Amino acid sequence: MPGDSRYSRQTILPQIGAEGQKKLLGSTVAVIGCGGLGAPVLTYLALAGVGKIRLIDQDTVNLTNLNRQFFYRESDLNQEKCKRATDFLQSRNSEIALEAVCERLTGENAGQLLSGVDVIVDCVDRIETRRQVGRAAGKLMIPLVEGGIHGFYGFVLSILPGKSACYECASPGDAEETPPVPAIGAAAGVIGSLQAVECIKILLGLPHILYGRMLQYDGLYGEFTEVPVHVRKDCICQKRTEGSGL
Amino acid sequence: MIEVRLFATFREGRDKIVYMEPDKAACPADVLDHLGIPHEEVAICLINGFHSALSAPVKDQDVLALFPPVGGG
Repeated sequence: MPGDSRYSRQTILPQIGAEGQKKLLGSTVAVIGCGGLGAPVLTYLALAGVGKIRLIDQDTVNLTNLNRQFFYRESDLNQEKCKRATDFLQSRNSEIALEAVCERLTGENAGQLLSGVDVIVDCVDRIETRRQVGRAAGKLMIPLVEGGIHGFYGFVLSILPGKSACYECASPGDAEETPPVPAIGAAAGVIGSLQAVECIKILLGLPHILYGRMLQYDGLYGEFTEVPVHVRKDCICQKRTEGSGL
Repeated sequence: MIEVRLFATFREGRDKIVYMEPDKAACPADVLDHLGIPHEEVAICLINGFHSALSAPVKDQDVLALFPPVGGG
């Protein structure tokens, strides 16, 4: 691989190298949500050369998105997010394949939309969708990187189905934020960037993934806190493991 | 002592870590009442890293972690 290639600044890393770059180029990732978290996640995965990325989002661009969702221009208002996001990403890296799925992920279609990928990155803003993504990842046994923000706060948690705690292990209830959820772009950028790092590490087979460790970010205090999260024995993810294999 | 770790908006107007005598808090619900946090605002309640009901017993040396819903993107 030439020293001045697109990926040369990362292939010189001992954790990546030429072999690691081949892994990334041969990988497929699904990202649900092309918003405040999805923008940094998708951008850094695309720039790093993840070979195939499936973008899933049914929303259209509105004015309140523009304080943080840097994919979109004022001229994109009312247009489908996943298509505009695909255009943005493809203009930054024409060597990767992007698949835009402009549908809402539900319990009915989650298995189909997420099958065949190596890692799922969850960038959604509704608890119910987060639950459906988590359950589908568990059924498909695909590693999942969760993230969420609220104003200056956020969290990241990676999940290895059957091995580490899922989001429902920690939060089995229905508590949800009352919209509109406050969001500052820079905090979404912090959390989305951490999700992208986690995803790349999983694809490369690197150690020290945030499995069972919820990383909390507090932008107001300027601190990160790691919180252990253990598997809940009566969680649906454990019933699945004990059952028919799904 | 019970160590209570508050996260995200639960920290606003409160300390981020609160210590409580075990005889003043028999369960997470008692802690929430002491701190003035409505029970329905709790999305995640962990005792020593394990999910806990708000009525579950807490004991000396436990670490209680409380989170509001954080899910925006």
